[in-house]
Amino acid sequence: MAITYDLVREVTANLYDWSLRQIPESSKAELRRAVETETVPQARQTLAFMLESAETAERTGRFLCSDAGVPSYTVKIGSAARFEGDIRQAIVDGFDHLVQTIEPPILRFVTNPLTNERSYRGKDMPLVSYELIGEVDYLDITCAPKALGGGRWAAIEILVSPSIEDIERCIMEIVLRAGGQHCPPVVIGVGIGGTFDHAAKLSKDATLRPFGERNPEPLVAAMEERLTRAVNMTGFGPMGVGGSTTTFGVHIEYAAGHGFTPIAVSFNCWINRRTRARIYNSGRVERIE
Amino acid sequence: MTGLGTSESGLPRVRLPMSPDEARRLKAGDLVLLDGEALATVGMPTHRRMIAEIEAGRPMPTPMDGGAFFHMGVCYDEEPSGPGRLHYVNPTTSTRFNGMMPTLIRRFGLTAVGGKGGLSRDSVEAMRDVGCVYFSFVGGASALLSLGVTEVVEAAWPDLIMQFRLNRIRLAGLGPVTVAIDAHGESVYDRLQASATARLSDILQSVRSG
Repeated sequence: MAITYDLVREVTANLYDWSLRQIPESSKAELRRAVETETVPQARQTLAFMLESAETAERTGRFLCSDAGVPSYTVKIGSAARFEGDIRQAIVDGFDHLVQTIEPPILRFVTNPLTNERSYRGKDMPLVSYELIGEVDYLDITCAPKALGGGRWAAIEILVSPSIEDIERCIMEIVLRAGGQHCPPVVIGVGIGGTFDHAAKLSKDATLRPFGERNPEPLVAAMEERLTRAVNMTGFGPMGVGGSTTTFGVHIEYAAGHGFTPIAVSFNCWINRRTRARIYNSGRVERIE
Repeated sequence: MTGLGTSESGLPRVRLPMSPDEARRLKAGDLVLLDGEALATVGMPTHRRMIAEIEAGRPMPTPMDGGAFFHMGVCYDEEPSGPGRLHYVNPTTSTRFNGMMPTLIRRFGLTAVGGKGGLSRDSVEAMRDVGCVYFSFVGGASALLSLGVTEVVEAAWPDLIMQFRLNRIRLAGLGPVTVAIDAHGESVYDRLQASATARLSDILQSVRSG
């Protein structure tokens, strides 16, 4: 048995479709908690509206946002996985088919960066990163569409031999530049170390971690906890119009590097669109998120 | 059908377009629901074309004077006669139009603008001069927000892609929306940004000391 073109095409298209209509469970749990803990009354009302809208979207199949974003996938490949057909093309074809058939229709967001022409197709679209994982017999695929709110405010700085304090200040300066423009309460993913590209990848991976999970290393977990509190002390609040709930969590991943230390910070908006499934050699599909 | 969620009943209603005096009665931080009519677009080409038309002394394809103009995506069926059934709406980030909004606000005497993320100081000053407020919509809440729009009455500049057109939408309880910039020069965004920036060192020290 092998993982087929047809199955990858179907599953990746479904992951995108599902991501447009429901928020992750851990985001729902955080919203429910924040409706109770938020200190500004208007912000509590906004959080309640967010939660009710997300529940309505899930119940009725409506879209969470008019901006379907651009499709972005992370594909983790078990080294015991076997393939039949062109798996890369399957993701492209699945997206092509989806945009022609999805109800309600999605608007054109795939943009040529040089001409600003918009369409449903484009160079390197969908955006897919592939990585090898251990000796398991499945593909683990995450779909996380990116739109302007969640994509525009990411930034990277490169410091030389920074202290933890330097790193935390650098992260907070990027947070302040973003202000409340990324549809908070956001998830904040931080990648530290490695190289420019590697830190950016770690930062993206960190945004995909469910809320409530901390980095296993105590030093890093303590940074996450401090920074989460610090971001919520800024006061930007839900939709950036004031409140004590600006982030549901700062997640940090790091890699060893040289003495120059890239610090990448990226965000995802409160709807935190993310779906995930595994496809096994046997043909079984397991929905994770 | 209205956009009222269970937590929104009882909010004040604002009918658009407002007069400048009506706009001046709203205060930064107010939560309201919107009725009436507004134009909605998310297009950078749309904004550039509006500026070009102004500079060329040509009229807009649809009346804009004294109106409401939102940075908001709209999706609907296209019929031979024009816009058909509405599918959904949702706000987009306004700050990318910072360079053009002061001109549009002043030229058309807009009394309401909106979207998410706010506008820069130049726009805040233009809004104070003409009597205009900025409404912050909740992004990502399309499922409920869309219930507050009953119809797309007109889609001007149909050569543009759907969400870039000047889409005139009819509203029935759209919101809740926050008055995030009022017509007296008060911007919630500027206030929060200044406050967070001034307190950054204190914040960092506070979280380090437990």
